[in-house]
Amino acid sequence: MAKAEKFSVVGQRVQRIEGFDKVTGDSQFIADIYLPNMLVGKILRSPFPHARIRGIDTSKAEKLRGVRAVVTAEDTIKRPWGAFFADQYILSVGKTRYVGEEVAAVAAVDPDIAEEAIDLIEVDWEPLPGVFDAEEAMQDGAPLVHDDKANNVAMTMDIERGNIVQAFAESDVVVEDTFVSMPQWHCSIETIGSVAEYAPNGKYTIYMNTQTLFNARYRIATALGVPETDVRIIQSAVGGGFGGKSCDDNNALVAAVLARKAGKPVKLINTREEEFLAGCRPRVFMKINVRLGFKKDGRIRAKHIKVIADNGAYSAKAPAITGVAAMRHDTCYKYSDVKTEAVLVYTNKIPTGAFRGFGNPSAEWAVEQAIDLGAHELGIDPIEIARINAAETGYVSPHGNRVNSCELKQCLDMAEKMMDWKSKRAGKQPNTGLGLACTVHVSGKRHFGDYDGSSATIKLNEDGKALILSGEGECGQGVHTAMCQIAAEELGVPVEDVEISRADTDLTTFCLGAFASRLTYVSGNAVKNAAANVKQQLFEQASEMLEANAEDLVSHDGRIFVRGAEGKSVSVSDVARARLFRHNGAPIVGSGSFDADSVLPDSTRFGNESGAYNYGVQAAQVHVDPETGQVKILYFVIASDCGTVIYPLGAEGQVEGGLSQGIGYALTEGLQIDEGKPLNPNFSDYRIPSMRDMPPLQHAFADSYEPTGPFGAKGLGELNMDPTAAVISNAIFDAVGVRIKTLPITPEKILKALREKAALEKAKT
Amino acid sequence: MKKKVTLTVNGEEHEIEIEANRLLLQVLRDTLGLTGTKEGCSIGVCGACSVIIDGRVVSSCLTLAAACAGKKIETIEGLAEDGRLHPLQQAFIEYGGFQCGICTPGQIMAAKSLLDENPKPTEDEVKEWMSGNLCRCTGYYKILEAVMAVVNNKIDPDFAFRKREQTAKIQSLDVYKSVAKTN
Repeated sequence: MAKAEKFSVVGQRVQRIEGFDKVTGDSQFIADIYLPNMLVGKILRSPFPHARIRGIDTSKAEKLRGVRAVVTAEDTIKRPWGAFFADQYILSVGKTRYVGEEVAAVAAVDPDIAEEAIDLIEVDWEPLPGVFDAEEAMQDGAPLVHDDKANNVAMTMDIERGNIVQAFAESDVVVEDTFVSMPQWHCSIETIGSVAEYAPNGKYTIYMNTQTLFNARYRIATALGVPETDVRIIQSAVGGGFGGKSCDDNNALVAAVLARKAGKPVKLINTREEEFLAGCRPRVFMKINVRLGFKKDGRIRAKHIKVIADNGAYSAKAPAITGVAAMRHDTCYKYSDVKTEAVLVYTNKIPTGAFRGFGNPSAEWAVEQAIDLGAHELGIDPIEIARINAAETGYVSPHGNRVNSCELKQCLDMAEKMMDWKSKRAGKQPNTGLGLACTVHVSGKRHFGDYDGSSATIKLNEDGKALILSGEGECGQGVHTAMCQIAAEELGVPVEDVEISRADTDLTTFCLGAFASRLTYVSGNAVKNAAANVKQQLFEQASEMLEANAEDLVSHDGRIFVRGAEGKSVSVSDVARARLFRHNGAPIVGSGSFDADSVLPDSTRFGNESGAYNYGVQAAQVHVDPETGQVKILYFVIASDCGTVIYPLGAEGQVEGGLSQGIGYALTEGLQIDEGKPLNPNFSDYRIPSMRDMPPLQHAFADSYEPTGPFGAKGLGELNMDPTAAVISNAIFDAVGVRIKTLPITPEKILKALREKAALEKAKT
Repeated sequence: MKKKVTLTVNGEEHEIEIEANRLLLQVLRDTLGLTGTKEGCSIGVCGACSVIIDGRVVSSCLTLAAACAGKKIETIEGLAEDGRLHPLQQAFIEYGGFQCGICTPGQIMAAKSLLDENPKPTEDEVKEWMSGNLCRCTGYYKILEAVMAVVNNKIDPDFAFRKREQTAKIQSLDVYKSVAKTN
């Protein structure tokens, strides 16, 4: 249920708090950090997708003038690490498993010398046969990527809720098809980098552009074999994250090993090519077979999904991503009987991992097209199929996801109206079509330990201005501004009176970081609780000054008032000072925690995975040129249910940016790979959308309120990347009657499909 | 072989000694400490390293520094004057024309070079011009909106960045004064 509530700071079009630094170039990104005596690091990478290392001779490199350290696996404890499976090393141990894998590294006084030293390292390679296709990799006798993983299988899932055989038997219409999705790179304009220092007492200090500091600290400490306290991560400004900067790669670890050996700070920044080869972990390749059973009236009766997911050489977060692809969408519609089978397979390709959507874009690419197939088969308008099946507040999915707030139906109404769906559908023009898809995402996910929480501290200065200390990861999305708004709203002060620190694992309390669209919801709640704690201390002090009970006080506009006697008030700054400058004085410091009311899923993956679920609808009108296969998006509409919108400029930006990544995923972005070697690791051959590629867009937020969210808010970040590829494919099908089932949807594929269709029609006549 | 070169950046002359193969991007960042110009792709595609040389926007990652001697180089650091933001900088804040901000200096320099030459471009002209500057965060809508706001003179004349209301007079000195008095 939507709930109207009046806020003074939340929902206002406030300025981005880092705005000034961002537009003047003053923002300090990782490459902008220069420390005294800092060296430059460079990595020697594997040119082979699969090869044994018989030996490495570093002696020539070590003798080069200006070289301060050369490291190989011998300089590490050779302890495997990884987000879910410990399967990768800092530097190759014995063999390499993909093109670009880190084999050795140097630190030198300048980049040219570092580069020259890399060329002087001699590796005795023994190339091995590789395996590059997930289905081939599962065959008996296929080369093994990891010797202990039989048939290269990293993980399997087989889950059934209800009775799938009976449910299909009771279906009136059954549709089935297979859809292939591609890896997609984050393409943050800033690549991954770090600056590492090592102190003789054993402590590493690493500046990182990571979006998940404490997870990074845990993984780095594990791989280095030191306690967490001996690793300090300080966050630089982050030039785009999207999941790619969640520390599944070796950059910071290599920098740390080099810094220890050299005894000097080392800066290690990925080149763009390195970023494509072995930096951010691209979206998992997936082949998804979907079978759906419908009743005549459009209700979905049965769903069976089979996922083959290509891990690449190492797992990172792919096990969780595969789980999301297999199950998440079951919270979008009212499903009863579902079966999901998935297998995650190692190949000698770039390791895959977390990218905005986390398995959901691959799943929605498949499932939302299957739903469209069903709509056409049944002769029901796709928007009606969505309406008939849409989840609602109170829905509990077959996997136990409990939905506290859901405005999916409202979003459908909004999208229908914005697109003028009914009349455009009635007046369909040749080669022009409409497509639509629904989406669901989480607001945090319980999987790192039995914890999906956040914590924050708020320090009130003696002038009454507040400073939030948070270890969550602002990665460019603007969540720090939302956090300042939440604190200001709770404290009753102007947003300009609240600031926020940069994240630093030594100074800020434990936070999991930016993933699973969790920050506004989870850290927003923690910040709100910390602000409430500060407010309580303020009110205790103010009650003496105003000669009133603390329970009778309210605060707004930077002042504390007695409820009902608004003439009687005192400023927050006066109270803060009065609390400090007195006998037994103390500064006001408040802390707050929040852990979502979710459940760590059990061995059958049953359990409410998140505290809140966010929903959305996207629709497109496209034109397809039958002569060239070119797709032009004529109009795009988006309706999003993210609960209360805290920071409108940021929220709108999430929608718009999500759409651009969705359009890239749908139409242009795709890995070209030959025998494990990427052929397009640069921005001229891997094309992301530019300004002229963006269609006319109308979007709106649903009137929505999440009862467990801070001031009614829930997540938004990933929602509008998830369904876009299916939306565009559904619209192309409506326009010209062909369906492209392998991403990206290129003009060549459309032309080929149109020719095949024409030939088939000709044969019929 | 090092070479003596005089570079004029944002109106200031810098006499430096550099290798002939140093790129303008490297010299701006590593030698002159002007880190507002960013490296994104290193092949002149993404526009993050855009600077203006003699009125034309160029990719500093493909420009030899030594070749810029005697030319007028403008970077993002030169835009704000006396703490007052350039209209484009202000518009990017007002209209939310950035998220992470890594591409923003390049976007602003590209837009400036367009508006310096053609103060009233159409929306399509802006789209075409700005398509050489990639952004992965915003979807470009708010960048376009910000540039058009400057074109159409729709920026706030009373703009101030996160201006604080004086909710109380600054009194900490008074506190210390009273302490001093008791001594």
